[in-house]
Amino acid sequence: MIGPEIKRGTAELAVLSVLEDGPLHGYEMARRIERQTQGSLRFTLASLYPLLYRLEKRGWVRGAWETSSTGRRRRCYRLTSEGKKRLSPIRKEWAELFRALKRLTKVSHA
Amino acid sequence: MRDWGALVEQRLADLVLEPEERTEVIAEVAAHLEDICEEVLKQGVTEEEAVRRTLSQAGDWQDLQRKSLAAKRREQPMKKRVWQLWIPGLLTLILSSFFLMTLQQYGLQPRIARIGSNTVLLYLPWLLSLPFFGALGAYISSRAGGSRGMVILASVFPPLALTGAFLLMFPISLAAEGITGRHSDFSVVATTLLKDGIGWLLVPGAALLVGGSLAHLLLSTRSSWRYKANG
Repeated sequence: MIGPEIKRGTAELAVLSVLEDGPLHGYEMARRIERQTQGSLRFTLASLYPLLYRLEKRGWVRGAWETSSTGRRRRCYRLTSEGKKRLSPIRKEWAELFRALKRLTKVSHA
Repeated sequence: MRDWGALVEQRLADLVLEPEERTEVIAEVAAHLEDICEEVLKQGVTEEEAVRRTLSQAGDWQDLQRKSLAAKRREQPMKKRVWQLWIPGLLTLILSSFFLMTLQQYGLQPRIARIGSNTVLLYLPWLLSLPFFGALGAYISSRAGGSRGMVILASVFPPLALTGAFLLMFPISLAAEGITGRHSDFSVVATTLLKDGIGWLLVPGAALLVGGSLAHLLLSTRSSWRYKANG
């Protein structure tokens, strides 16, 4: 069973990673993450928006209302310079965790 | 086309935020649902089916409400705890105690029940009022975005606080006796009260819990009732 802290950590990494490519609104973000992870990571409203609000409070992302060419208003999120700085160590931590787990599972299968 | 803003507003009726902040959250979630629905409609389904599928993807509204409140108020965890636990809990304690004192002033006599060798005093009208006080504590805590545990804790706060106070009397009386060298009555009182815990703690606690649980159940299902009622 994956604990809430790990889930929260992966969700943060996923959101920050997709925002690295450019600003997105909530729906686009959820769709892109789902597509890029081939459906392994899916966000509900309750998992996406509270996370965005937390990241915004920390100053890692910034949301602003924008009007598209079709006249629709959407709140788009951008990665801030602080968010960009944080993304790199988070990626390293997760890469380290995956390597450790890989080593562990190899040992247990041996 | 469905009014997603109105639907989200109904579902997040208990989202207590600053008006501007609340409007933004509702508009943002409504826009998300609108996008999902549009994509589903492109698959050639009826509007009714598209709405149904959109709502099934939305997830748990109570969860969204609670987590959004927690995220928006994250910078003030102490303030959050105060409104979710301490204020509703203390209000439940004060109001229920005040009501008991009022009843006693008007000559309410307890009914005496015997359980084994113990005598239990039961103030029946007061006990019957306790579910309402428990429900009040649960309601205030829930409005402040309290989790299920916090809501229940706020509703049964009075017996918990009394138990804590009684238990504190032991070390305090020991310390007082050590300092003054005189025998104090605190521990005697505390022992008596704890021995009579069934009448003073367990039964009132159960009555408060009933009220708190019912209020929580009602509040957690209210959003979906509202939605169904509004079609």
